[in-house]
Amino acid sequence: MLTATFEPVITRTMGLPDSHTLGVYTKYGGYEALVMALQKPPDEIIDLVKRSGLRGRGGAGFPTGTKWGFVPKSGDQPKYMCVNADESEPGAFKDRLICQKDPHQLLEGTLIGSYAIGANRAYIYIRGEFAREARLLEAAIEEAHEAGFVGTNILGSGWSCEVTMYVGAGAYICGEETGLIESLEGKRGWPRLKPPFPAVVGLFGRPTVVNNVETLACVPHIVKRGAEWFRSIGPERNSGPKLYGLSGHVNRPGVFELPMGISLRELIDEYGEGVPGGRPVKGVIPGGASCPVLRGDEIDLPMDFDSLTRAGSLFGTGTPIVMDDTTCMVRAAWITARFFAHESCGQCTPCREGCGWLQRLLWKIEEGQGEERDLETILSVTDQIEGNTICALGDAAAWPARGFAKKFRDEFLQHIREKRCPLDGGSLSDGD
Amino acid sequence: MALVKVKIDGREISVEKGTNLIEAAKLAGVFVPHFCYHPGLPVVGVCRICLCELEGRPKLVAGCATPVEEGMHVVTRSPKVTDARRAVMEFLLIHHPLDCPVCDKGGECTLQDYTMLMGPSKSRFRFEKITWPEEDVGGKLILNKNRCILCMRCVNLCKEVAGQDEIAVLNRGEQTFIGTVDGRNIENELAGNIADICPVGALTSKDFRFKARPWELTNVPSVCPHCSKGCNIVVGYHPRRNEILRHTARTNMDVNQWWICDRGRGGFHFLHDKARLLAPARKVDGGTRTVSWNQAIPEIASTLREIIVRHGARAVGVIGSGTLTNEECYLARAVFRDGLGITHIDFPRRPQPEVAYKKFTIEGDKDPNARGAKLCGVTPVDSGLGTRDMMRAAAEGTIKALVFLRGGPLDLFGEPAIVERALGNVDLALVIDILPSAVSERAHWVLPGVSFAEKDGTFTNSKGRVQRIRKVLTLRGDTREDWRILQDLGTHLGVLTAADPGPERIFDRLAQAIPAFSGLSYATLGELGAPIADATADVAVG
Repeated sequence: MLTATFEPVITRTMGLPDSHTLGVYTKYGGYEALVMALQKPPDEIIDLVKRSGLRGRGGAGFPTGTKWGFVPKSGDQPKYMCVNADESEPGAFKDRLICQKDPHQLLEGTLIGSYAIGANRAYIYIRGEFAREARLLEAAIEEAHEAGFVGTNILGSGWSCEVTMYVGAGAYICGEETGLIESLEGKRGWPRLKPPFPAVVGLFGRPTVVNNVETLACVPHIVKRGAEWFRSIGPERNSGPKLYGLSGHVNRPGVFELPMGISLRELIDEYGEGVPGGRPVKGVIPGGASCPVLRGDEIDLPMDFDSLTRAGSLFGTGTPIVMDDTTCMVRAAWITARFFAHESCGQCTPCREGCGWLQRLLWKIEEGQGEERDLETILSVTDQIEGNTICALGDAAAWPARGFAKKFRDEFLQHIREKRCPLDGGSLSDGD
Repeated sequence: MALVKVKIDGREISVEKGTNLIEAAKLAGVFVPHFCYHPGLPVVGVCRICLCELEGRPKLVAGCATPVEEGMHVVTRSPKVTDARRAVMEFLLIHHPLDCPVCDKGGECTLQDYTMLMGPSKSRFRFEKITWPEEDVGGKLILNKNRCILCMRCVNLCKEVAGQDEIAVLNRGEQTFIGTVDGRNIENELAGNIADICPVGALTSKDFRFKARPWELTNVPSVCPHCSKGCNIVVGYHPRRNEILRHTARTNMDVNQWWICDRGRGGFHFLHDKARLLAPARKVDGGTRTVSWNQAIPEIASTLREIIVRHGARAVGVIGSGTLTNEECYLARAVFRDGLGITHIDFPRRPQPEVAYKKFTIEGDKDPNARGAKLCGVTPVDSGLGTRDMMRAAAEGTIKALVFLRGGPLDLFGEPAIVERALGNVDLALVIDILPSAVSERAHWVLPGVSFAEKDGTFTNSKGRVQRIRKVLTLRGDTREDWRILQDLGTHLGVLTAADPGPERIFDRLAQAIPAFSGLSYATLGELGAPIADATADVAVG
């Protein structure tokens, strides 16, 4: 298997003691990519990243180089790089690992990205709950500053860049790039109407790129080892190494660095060491809570953007949640819906009103009070939300509810007919 | 101005580049529903009722947030659009109390109208609704969050027009609500506009609440009489009760855009005051006696004549008012200045500090027609005296008659002691007014005039725009329009040859006599008024 020969890239030093320090980072070649990048014109870096095929690891999978290319070239106004470390998707905990174990890798990627787009200031927006990671990042910024990797005239290149960390207050919506920008500006984290896109009108009304932590962590390696090397990992158009965060009913949950395109079943069985007690997989949410659930018989597929889309789900953040046959799928749907109802920003009508409605309908069915028409209402409410909202999080809230209701229709109907949860709630708690 | 060609529901039109789909559709005669969009406020795109289809694009777009582009094909009547709008209506109504029968907005509520137009008649939502207690958010508004659809208009009005963040959106998800900052009151003087633009019954006017159903009102376009800005208003009155119940803003892009201030909004209560002067009165020993107009006018005229015959026209002072119409100011000049040769003619000013909000200024000149009064000739001529000097002259005895076309507190006209002495000294003190005042209490004759809502006429605002006010109410008691009083006096004094049938004819004569008004007529003024010739000149009045 391809995976057998795969050498970890992003996590390669994370097992070492003090992997978060500048000393360990530079000992294993850290900041060499920055030195290399600063010797090239910014356009060349953008071109390199374009050719590498790197796609955003925050969920949408947008080509990173293309995003950078949207930033106007003119130098007459400030530009900003924003790092999205607001990792809040239930099931995702991969960016946290980078912030914790190798913050300099993120910093180096951030600096290279900033240089490429012509930004002299980068902001790292980290979610409020990541208090420890925030401390580690702050320390890393300090170290990098003292070493001359951050600040004025970096490494004598004449280019300057300050990196500022901003701790969010804990809202899922601030992970949406324009919600993040609003929050960073000190406002309510309400996503903006697009167009204009942040690359043209972003932070403080200036051209801005918002990149995910893992995306930027890939950048130094692309600079050092080339676009061809990066493209050689993983399938066509879905290249590179990937941090998979595996959770749920598996014997060995955790973050695994593997190539894009690894089989979901292999990820669960080989790396996750299978389901406890050898129980069957009932369903997998492949890429974080907003991605439509897959049935246990649908998991023989490659974990990459295009394959998951073809399968009617989404790759998302590449962080599967595994559920065995003790799981009540109605309850799982309800817990997901409750999360989105709680996190809906309240700005636009369909998401604000629809998410709460979905949550109520799902709870009604789980409690044995459901009627068949409720199932139809669930599907229709998700249709009414999807595509009609300001930001993609409306879609993200609609997809999982629809996914559960469609893939596990029989189980929903069983709840309705028997007027009870056939699994007595199953192995999932009420959450909280 | 670059034009682009677009097709909206098959109708091809050329519109200015950058126009949004709602406005472009309006020009094409196509209605696109909207709650949150307001032409005077920033586009927020939150309600989603204006979703439109663009040919060749898979996703619907918000009409408010989408500018037209050359060759765009907009579809507002496809099944997809209908479904999306119906969905938004259903969502907006799931927690809505549906309490139209007891809601003050009922009858002029956008949510109610759209529900009738396109909403589902039955709800599929069978859960307990989220409810909130009603809140008093300051002097002018009551907040009922149950009916709120979070369109953000109130928030953005305070923020963008008043420039004050007094109301904000709090919490998130379905628990999102509109609230005042730290529970404080909304105190800016534009807050009343919120009741006008709230598309539901969430923020209603405390003053108008439960006074009447909107369909009971007759709405008449008029102009606010409370400062020289000349904001266009709609006077809402109850014909059966012969009572004005509210003023709302009337859009005039050249004057007040979409807004009025709260002083103007509530500025009709004075005319329903119980103390209104309702009949001509004459001072007699130990009190006043009501007399008829037929008795009052000839007697006043002959007294005035006598004084002029005995002491000359320079023994008479006429004090006009910037609250009277152009027509009345013109008549005052025709009767007193041109007819009787009176040179002491002037009007007092009532300056107050200007209040400048971010995008709306409440002017400091509290007279609605100071500029008109000046243009029409209510000003001293041939070294005639101004108001304060007239009072001094009357106190000293050189002026024998004072004609006040409006009364007021003594200090409006000069040193109170001097005004008091002047009124005590003169042989004739005549006051025309609508409410009693320190001046009317001391006058020999008091004639009951009427307010801006009881007569037709025009005001000239500080920018030189001439705009019409309308007679809305039936005259109370024995009151008479001020223009009629002046005409009657003029006729009895023998200085007006013929009485005009009404303000429109007076205005025509005025327009012929005074160059600034040349070419204007009620027809050319229309609903929005028109500027005087060379409106920018002579801006500084008094």
